Amino acid sequence: MSARGSLWQRIVGGLIGTLSLAALGGVSVSASAAPPPDFVEAIDVPWDAGGVLIVSWRVDGDPSAITGWLIERREEIDGAKWVTVSELPAAAREVTATKLSHDHAHRIRVTAFGESGQLSKGLETAPTLAHANFFIGAKLPLFVGILVVSTCVIVFILSARAGRPIKIRRIAALDAVDNAVGRATEMGRPILFIAGIQDMDNISTVAGITVLGHVAKTAAEYDATIEVPTSRSLVMEAARETVQASYLSAGRSDSYNPDLIRYITDEQFGFVAYVSGRMVREKPAACFYMGCFFAESLILSETGNSIGAIQIAGTAESTQLPFFVAACDYTLIGEEFFAASSYLSREPDQMGSLKGQDAAKLITAAAIVIGVVLATLASLAPDGAFPAALTWFKGVLGS
Amino acid sequence: MRIVATDCGSTTTKAILIEERDGVFRQTFRGEAPTTVEEPFADVTLGVTNSVTELQELSGYRLIADDGTIIRRRSQSDADGCDLYISTSSAGGGLQMMVAGVVREMTAESAKRAALGAGAIVMDTIASNDRRKPHEQIQRIRELRPDMVLVSGGTDGGDTKKVIELAELIAPARPRPRFGGEYKLPLIFAGNKEARGAITRCFGGEGFALSIVENLRPTLEQENLGPARERIHDVFLEHVMAHAPGYDRLMSWANAPIMPTPGAVGDILQTIARGRGINVVGVDIGGATTDMFSVFGGVFNRTVSANLGMSYSISNVCAEAGMDSVLRWVHLDMDERELRNRVKNKMIRPTTIPQSLEALVFEQAVSREALRLAFIQHKAFATTLKGVQQQRTVGDAFSQDAVGKSLVDPMAIDLMVASGGVLSHAPRMEQTALMMIDAFEPEGFTQIAKDSIFMMPHLGVLASVNARAAMEVFERDCLILLGWCVAPKGEVRAGRPALEFTLSGGPSGGNAEVAKGQLVGGEMRLVRFPLGHSGKLEVRPEKGLDVGAGPGKPVKRTIEGGTVGVIIDARGRPLKLPTSPSVRRSAVAGWQKALEIYL
Repeated sequence: MSARGSLWQRIVGGLIGTLSLAALGGVSVSASAAPPPDFVEAIDVPWDAGGVLIVSWRVDGDPSAITGWLIERREEIDGAKWVTVSELPAAAREVTATKLSHDHAHRIRVTAFGESGQLSKGLETAPTLAHANFFIGAKLPLFVGILVVSTCVIVFILSARAGRPIKIRRIAALDAVDNAVGRATEMGRPILFIAGIQDMDNISTVAGITVLGHVAKTAAEYDATIEVPTSRSLVMEAARETVQASYLSAGRSDSYNPDLIRYITDEQFGFVAYVSGRMVREKPAACFYMGCFFAESLILSETGNSIGAIQIAGTAESTQLPFFVAACDYTLIGEEFFAASSYLSREPDQMGSLKGQDAAKLITAAAIVIGVVLATLASLAPDGAFPAALTWFKGVLGS
Repeated sequence: MRIVATDCGSTTTKAILIEERDGVFRQTFRGEAPTTVEEPFADVTLGVTNSVTELQELSGYRLIADDGTIIRRRSQSDADGCDLYISTSSAGGGLQMMVAGVVREMTAESAKRAALGAGAIVMDTIASNDRRKPHEQIQRIRELRPDMVLVSGGTDGGDTKKVIELAELIAPARPRPRFGGEYKLPLIFAGNKEARGAITRCFGGEGFALSIVENLRPTLEQENLGPARERIHDVFLEHVMAHAPGYDRLMSWANAPIMPTPGAVGDILQTIARGRGINVVGVDIGGATTDMFSVFGGVFNRTVSANLGMSYSISNVCAEAGMDSVLRWVHLDMDERELRNRVKNKMIRPTTIPQSLEALVFEQAVSREALRLAFIQHKAFATTLKGVQQQRTVGDAFSQDAVGKSLVDPMAIDLMVASGGVLSHAPRMEQTALMMIDAFEPEGFTQIAKDSIFMMPHLGVLASVNARAAMEVFERDCLILLGWCVAPKGEVRAGRPALEFTLSGGPSGGNAEVAKGQLVGGEMRLVRFPLGHSGKLEVRPEKGLDVGAGPGKPVKRTIEGGTVGVIIDARGRPLKLPTSPSVRRSAVAGWQKALEIYL
């Protein structure tokens, strides 16, 4: 709105000025008007997502009479009107027109402002299409990054498939599953598994259900009882199918009891009240909290601690991790939780994928360290070669 | 005071005489005779009488009466006879047991620990999660012929269902006892007290002699092995020994209950560890099996590696370790085909001994691997309790230790005791010391000793009757102190400085400098420091290497001399031998030369 207002003000001002000068002495208007541009060109930006033109122009006349530039665009269709792209200072000779349509060509018109605000004759470009390219050059570092990550993953998957040992550091929380289930078996008490309080669209719930598959299989092998109260009906269905499959693979399908996997309520604290009460009454020997948790994390884990259960938690919610770490025997922290399925299954594809992602993370961490070092050195020695190196490094990363 | 002690082994019965002279107990004479448990004699006391007769001949005291019994002194002034007679036995394969528990890593493991600690050989462990189907478990139980069965399972007030399921597997399987079928198989129940009624109903009928003791895991946080071990000893005497030929007479002669030999060895090591407040690792490598004992922080553990030995099991050692692993300790060129023939010959002729240097080098290389594998098995078994609740703080976020951590810490070993033919009868003491170092890879300061004449079983029983006598004989006559091993923990760089040391002392201690030097990575050095000497050894490791006080920190300790001296081992831990065969051979030859192993 301000640009448009300014334009009207300049046009009105220009008319008043012209009329005044004519009344005073019949001086020619063209003598004080700004010179129009002599050459205007619009170029489609290569290797981009489209919608961008670089407009440049030249003035052969006296540039001192020019106080600014008005840049306008118009789609090459019937009835289209000129739309202001921007207003620029007198020294400008180039502008980037963005947010243009990919479908039609555009004409760009460049008009000069004179000292009193009067406008010169505008000069238009030929119709130019700002078309979208197949490959966006600015995203090249990202493409290279994806290639590197994918190569790492594929190499490690192939390596794992070929039988080369892939070492994954021990995750105590997952190694302790046998211990927890064994404890429940020796004590003749049930195992409690909570897959968070979110629905199946939450990635943490999916990871939790994956761990449930392993815990249920171990429970089936030990012939222990596993209870899975859920706060979402879809989670209940997923949990039932997972546990059933685990019992089947352990060869104890007859021991599977779907009634032990039940839906309680969607209400956060209604669910917590039920689970806490159940824990106090039944005193499960092992409690698993694997999924997305919020305020209920401490209530559940403290209740479990008070009844002497072995507790294993896993969540990606960083705000809940301290509570789980303090109250539980073992805690899967963030990435460990998502790595659980490959760690537990030991399948070459999953292991290779995990290892490949780790390699990519290592490369990313190395890039961060190099960036931090260069930025620090550049700030300490602004006159040295480091600022240039930092700029180059930023360019390489595409930032 | 005069004490006669015998150990009835599978092949020989060994007798020793212990006398109190000048207020100190010393072992004075030793006799040996073939064991006579098997036909045609079928009476263990004949072998005992023969071995004690040898003692009688050597000592000049009359110890055997005309009727073949051991003469007892009525007073200290009596010239003939002894004041105490004690015995251990491993004749006829020792005590063989089958154990069962609900979860393999929990109550079944505790049951195994109780059985092994009592000196038994565990033939098999049955558990509800041992990945065998019930019919396979029943088949296995029927195949075994144990002397005794130990059943555990469930905490007190805990699971009863699976305990009863276990009982219902064992009872109908009717395992037959080893010594004939006329006596009832002893079965000890040490599980959930609430399951006792059902267990009594299950095993109360014919075929089993049921005895019930306290639960060996009353809670998962607590292990109570004492009652089960004591009951195993009692049952061993009442049932097993009573049915072995001649043992009823032998028991009537003895002043203390006859113990299984490994149980007695375990007892004396525990007594020593407790008395001196140290951590001890003991090994007895035999022809068929290798027994490992350890006491760490007062917790005793014993394992029997049933297929690791130097004659009957030598083939299995080579198969399990791999010939490459065996030959990495050899500095000579050897033909692998010929070695395989040698291994098989040793297996079928177990009493043969090496006749050439090459044969000796090879046998000692095999022993290193047997000991190494036995130690790995021991480390895996000697762990903290599993299924225990952990207490955490937020600070533990990134250091969540798993349960079931091994108790065996090479840095914490204070004393290693070697026994068994290949170690005890090695031509040079240096060979025994190096075999122990290579196999167990001790870290920091570790004293090495060997059992002079395998006297530990006798002293184990003696400790239960006269602890002072047992300790004095153990320290003066039983153990031959070989010396010390000082080895930094951490990776060393070949040829780069690893540590500096200064040894001072002498026959009466003092500060006289004995030796001083610097070792580079991969080097070993022997400093002679004779028996009876004592002094201070200061070791200053390089950055990143630890000799007990932390990486790079010096340690100064008081040490005693030994028949070998002080071995400073700068090969780093874990021990990594060069991969190139020629480099490895020259390195092994270098170590052997430095330690004067094969002159």
